[in-house]
Amino acid sequence: MADKEATVYIVDVGKSMGKCQHGRSVTDLEWAMQYVWDRITTTVANGRKTATIGVVALRSNDTCNDLQEDDSFSKISVLQNLGQLLMPDIRRLRDIIKPSSTDRGDAISSIVVAIQMINTYTKKLKYKRKIVLVTNGTGPMNNEGIEEIQRKIKDDGIELLILGADFDDAEFGVKEEDKDFHKAANESLLREFADGCDGAFGTLEQAVSELEIPRIKVTKSMPSFKGFLCLGDASQYNTALRIPVERFFRTYVAKPPSASSFAVRSGGGTGQEGIEDSAGPSSSSGEGLTTVRMSRTYQINDESAPGGKADVERDDLAKGYEYGRTAVHISQTDENITTLETFAGMEIIGFIHMDKYDRYLQMSNTNVIIAQRANDKASLALSSFIHALFEQDSYAVARLVTKEQKPPMMVLLAPSIEHDYECLIEAVLPFAEDVRSYQFPPLDKVVTVSGKIVTEHRNLPNDELKQAMSDYVDNMELDAEELPIEDSYSPLLHRIEAAVRYRAVHPNDPVLEPSEQLTKLAHPSQVLIERSSPYLEKLVQASNVKKVPPKTKGRKRLREAEKPLSGLDVDALLKQEPKRTEISASNAIPEFKQMLSRADSLDVIHDAVRQMTSIVETLIKDSLGDANYDRVVESLGTVREELVDYEEPTLYNDLIRSLKAKILGEELGGDRLELWWLIRKGKLGLIDEKSSSLSQVTELEANEFYSVH
Amino acid sequence: MADDNFTRDDDVAEEEEEVDETVKSFRAVKDAVLFAIDVSSSMLEPRLSEDSRRPVQESPTSAALKCAYYLMQQRIISNPRDMMGVLLYGTESTKFYDEDGNTGSDLSYPHCYLFTDLDIPSAQEVKNLRALAGNEESARGILRPSSERVSMANVLFCANQIFTTKAPNFLSRRLFIVTDDDNPHQDNKSLRSAATVRARDLYDLSVNIELFPISRPDHEFDTSKFYDDIIYKPSPRDGEAPTYLQPDTKTSTGKGDGISLLNSLLSSINSRAVPRRSLFSNVPLEIGPNFKIAVNGYLLLKKQEPARSCYVWLGGEKPRIVKGITTHMADDTAQTVEKSEIRKAYKFGGEQVTFTPEELQALRNFGDPVIRIIGFKPLSALPIWANVKHPSFIYPSEDDFVGSTRVFSALHQKLLKDQKIAIVWFIPRKNSAPVVAAMIAGEERLDENGVQKVPPGMWLIPLPFADDVRENPPAVLSVSPDDLTDAMRQVIGQLQLPRGTYDAQKYPNPALQWHYRILQALALDEDYPGEPEDKTKPRYRQIDKRAGDYVLEWSRLLDMIFDKMYGGQAATTSTLVKREARDAGEGASRPPAKRVKTEEPADLEEQVRQCYERGTLKKLTLHVLKSFLNAHGRATAGKKDDLIDQVEQYFERKN
Repeated sequence: MADKEATVYIVDVGKSMGKCQHGRSVTDLEWAMQYVWDRITTTVANGRKTATIGVVALRSNDTCNDLQEDDSFSKISVLQNLGQLLMPDIRRLRDIIKPSSTDRGDAISSIVVAIQMINTYTKKLKYKRKIVLVTNGTGPMNNEGIEEIQRKIKDDGIELLILGADFDDAEFGVKEEDKDFHKAANESLLREFADGCDGAFGTLEQAVSELEIPRIKVTKSMPSFKGFLCLGDASQYNTALRIPVERFFRTYVAKPPSASSFAVRSGGGTGQEGIEDSAGPSSSSGEGLTTVRMSRTYQINDESAPGGKADVERDDLAKGYEYGRTAVHISQTDENITTLETFAGMEIIGFIHMDKYDRYLQMSNTNVIIAQRANDKASLALSSFIHALFEQDSYAVARLVTKEQKPPMMVLLAPSIEHDYECLIEAVLPFAEDVRSYQFPPLDKVVTVSGKIVTEHRNLPNDELKQAMSDYVDNMELDAEELPIEDSYSPLLHRIEAAVRYRAVHPNDPVLEPSEQLTKLAHPSQVLIERSSPYLEKLVQASNVKKVPPKTKGRKRLREAEKPLSGLDVDALLKQEPKRTEISASNAIPEFKQMLSRADSLDVIHDAVRQMTSIVETLIKDSLGDANYDRVVESLGTVREELVDYEEPTLYNDLIRSLKAKILGEELGGDRLELWWLIRKGKLGLIDEKSSSLSQVTELEANEFYSVH
Repeated sequence: MADDNFTRDDDVAEEEEEVDETVKSFRAVKDAVLFAIDVSSSMLEPRLSEDSRRPVQESPTSAALKCAYYLMQQRIISNPRDMMGVLLYGTESTKFYDEDGNTGSDLSYPHCYLFTDLDIPSAQEVKNLRALAGNEESARGILRPSSERVSMANVLFCANQIFTTKAPNFLSRRLFIVTDDDNPHQDNKSLRSAATVRARDLYDLSVNIELFPISRPDHEFDTSKFYDDIIYKPSPRDGEAPTYLQPDTKTSTGKGDGISLLNSLLSSINSRAVPRRSLFSNVPLEIGPNFKIAVNGYLLLKKQEPARSCYVWLGGEKPRIVKGITTHMADDTAQTVEKSEIRKAYKFGGEQVTFTPEELQALRNFGDPVIRIIGFKPLSALPIWANVKHPSFIYPSEDDFVGSTRVFSALHQKLLKDQKIAIVWFIPRKNSAPVVAAMIAGEERLDENGVQKVPPGMWLIPLPFADDVRENPPAVLSVSPDDLTDAMRQVIGQLQLPRGTYDAQKYPNPALQWHYRILQALALDEDYPGEPEDKTKPRYRQIDKRAGDYVLEWSRLLDMIFDKMYGGQAATTSTLVKREARDAGEGASRPPAKRVKTEEPADLEEQVRQCYERGTLKKLTLHVLKSFLNAHGRATAGKKDDLIDQVEQYFERKN
């Protein structure tokens, strides 16, 4: 459980805070609020009831606080009492935090008000107490009784942070020239005040600039396995070795917050509003949205039913599995029949050499394995195992079952020894079924069809290229000692979190670009680029890489491949086959392609397309339900691809227009709308000018074509 | 009842993760494999095994059928949506869709026997194929060679028709020909040319022919005689294959005895069990500013899980798979909501913060897909723990940039030679979250049959971000003194895995195999299989034999050193710690027999055993029972009686 928190933000809203200083485009108050809103929304985002926030306005027009009877507490208003902050509070605060028309109000007094708020709310309970004051330090300040206040802060364990606009900070490098005498005095008063109660004091510029650095949530890990690291079977052999161990996450991917689905609330005028809301940069009010529920119905294929599908009752269903296309029903009593019987344990299978291990085999996040806690003997035993692995340059391979009846995993156990910490690092290794054997040709030689090995080839680097690559790689070495992990932040996670926080306060602003911190690893550093650029130049020359113009990507390059391995001219053979001017329905796709490839006039192409059209229409007419739809899609797709390649988009566009009309007109054996949906899904509509320069169909037109209205 | 959380949509979403979105194709991402197995007298001739201890007779045809059976079982697990069929040719009898009755007279394929129609296999089909492969009585009549020569043109067109009608619009369609006849038509020109034309039809239909040639004992299979006219280079379409990949028809011509023939054929077929599907294609690999080549990405390592349970309908004669359809309803009105009406919102401060779909997309967009090198590091800088998921594999493509392959090769060779890695900014596809990854060069590895086991290329290992790194849990450090470490080194030295490497192929997933083994038995109404085969279990006997003495020595030292280091403190520790400390002492406890008569068993193990033998388990405390069960990897949930049951089961199994 995270600690309970009580934080009071004191915002200086004095008249002078409404001014833009030192050429900044935002007022001091807006500037201060960048910081305050970021902190507040970060707390709100975690959604914890016990993370409470209070807000106090200093130098406000009104006075509203528990101590207001005393004059020295005038012009201080409690805007928000301590409690969980919710969206309506954010909206209200957003509206009322405005520069006031007064510069009166004492900053020290406002801290006393905050202390009072915390005292009242937290009583003597365990809380993390904190007061944050943001001001420009130009108001009147009274240092009366300051020691007593400082003592109170220390006694109550309150953390104090004072931030000031244009406060001098030599360390950060801010110094306000021509500082007003009065402000300088205030600054030193506040600095002394903060120092006197172990608080922090800083300049606003630094605080705002550090907002860019994402904050990392620290998650406490729970052990995912408590059991024994074993070597041998203790129930059979007295030579078995068992060390009690525990397993914790070493890495675990932090996921960005997930969005939930909502429906725009229907009915009445409010519904309309809702739609408008979500179309434009929406208000964050969330009104007009309603939660979405899922409901499931169940169908089986039934040829006798209309549409080939029949609904079935939930009560007639049982749990089962598919074995191929056979349904296997498993009765409730046998529920776990397919579960392999296993018992928890981490059993060593054997050891492997470090230098023979392929690092890319790791399939998962990693874990640490440490000895059972408060067990010195286990700790000593495991240490000997870790050190022995390390000295032997070995890793262990083990079979891990984390709980009884859980499937076994193969894991790698690697020793990790730091000066104050020892553990095993565990990562999941693949089983035989997890490895897909896709084959690829070697990269350092070329094997020809006849089996000859060639070492000089356009696909192989020559010595010049190898040297240039070597030089470039050597001069692009990253300087940092370690990998960029500690200061690299998940870009998506932090961008979404920041966007949600920002949108909550600024509902009408567009979404922001990711902060620089998040994309700093997107490009090599300027230093590296400069250092390596002469080598890169040489590499570019030696490699002679040519971009393929988009046009030639298709047909022409494919042509080469259209001969069998022997290089036999099959086209010549095909020409001798007299019967192939007529496309047969049973072998339509090959014969269509071949007819086009032999075409010596446009007429032949026209004829081929005409024949394919009629074959496709017959397929549709004869289709029992959706039986032939896949063949139709394949035929259309082939015709489309070929006609794009042959630069005859109009022929296809005419075909598909007429086909659409026939489908919608139910001329091809009744309702064939499902087929149209498949055509749409396969993107087999009009060929637009983007796909073929000879087409006169615009992209928009092509998109609208899919609509059936 | 089965739980409601199950949705088939989820499955689809997971599978989609693997589908390459950059290939905009109307084709379904599915694979159909049709085996065409030659049934001639020479293919049926059994080849004696030279190993006299295992007098197995294996003919090329039966080896091919066994491979087909093996592949069929394997694909049910790994590719449950893909199709497979078995066509025998050269048989005396003929069979082709005759039950359907819709075959015309013009479609007759003499001596072609469609044994398993091309489809997702059914349990019955698995059983039939097993019977045929096992040469059972019922199947023998089929494997009789015809006296008349079969026309290869006919065989190829028969396959063409099967693919055209059964697997329309599949992205991948493959014909596996297994034969020992390298020149079926000799000099008959018209038959040869008919076959080449039919082969061209298959090529134009995007069917890849993959040949599994078998040499005869006295004759090396020569593809140049006939098959080089039949087989085409794999189509470069869709980035499925690098442009210059040669089909490895040269490998695995099993010339030897039956067993080695079967093994080499298995390994060769295994290597092509799944069609190569890219994860992403033609993504720029940016080696430096404004210097790009193109690569394709593949998923070579992916956790294979059993398919999830589904609902079956029991209202009919046979159980049938049910398709679930999800509809979304508004909570307040219970009206159906269309997808376009659904808005995504984040919960915040008790309300929702909304974005338009366009804004959501913009938030996810960090630029176009790219693999951008931002620098290099030594391989040793990549710690074992810096891992979050499986890697992706990349291989160059010449589609966008001519010369990609040679540049990639130069980089690959450099990184291998100097043991370096590249650090890259990696966006695999549009709108996917960027990661920082380590790119390491992987060497080509071949198996004992010369078939490629690991392809050459680069591996992209996503690195954790600072957000993904957990703090180490607090732990006490008791550093092992050198003599204890040395004792453990002796143990480790005795138990090296073969060649000191991890070979995944040796460890099939026992839970996955068992799951499907049981399903098969249920589907075929067969006997429940007895013990599961589990190759991941350690070899206990060997461990005892080879390392036993060294473990005992280590254990003796451990006790001694521990007493020396902590001896004085034992009395001051709490009872809890004391008890657990004894658990650690289990490291090689002395033979139990020595302690049987002790009045008060010092040892948890002994205490429980004695109670079990005397039937007094009830006397033990809950805590002792739990500790005992936990020490044996058993779950410890439930009441005392349940725990006692569990303990009893444990001892009953042992005896």
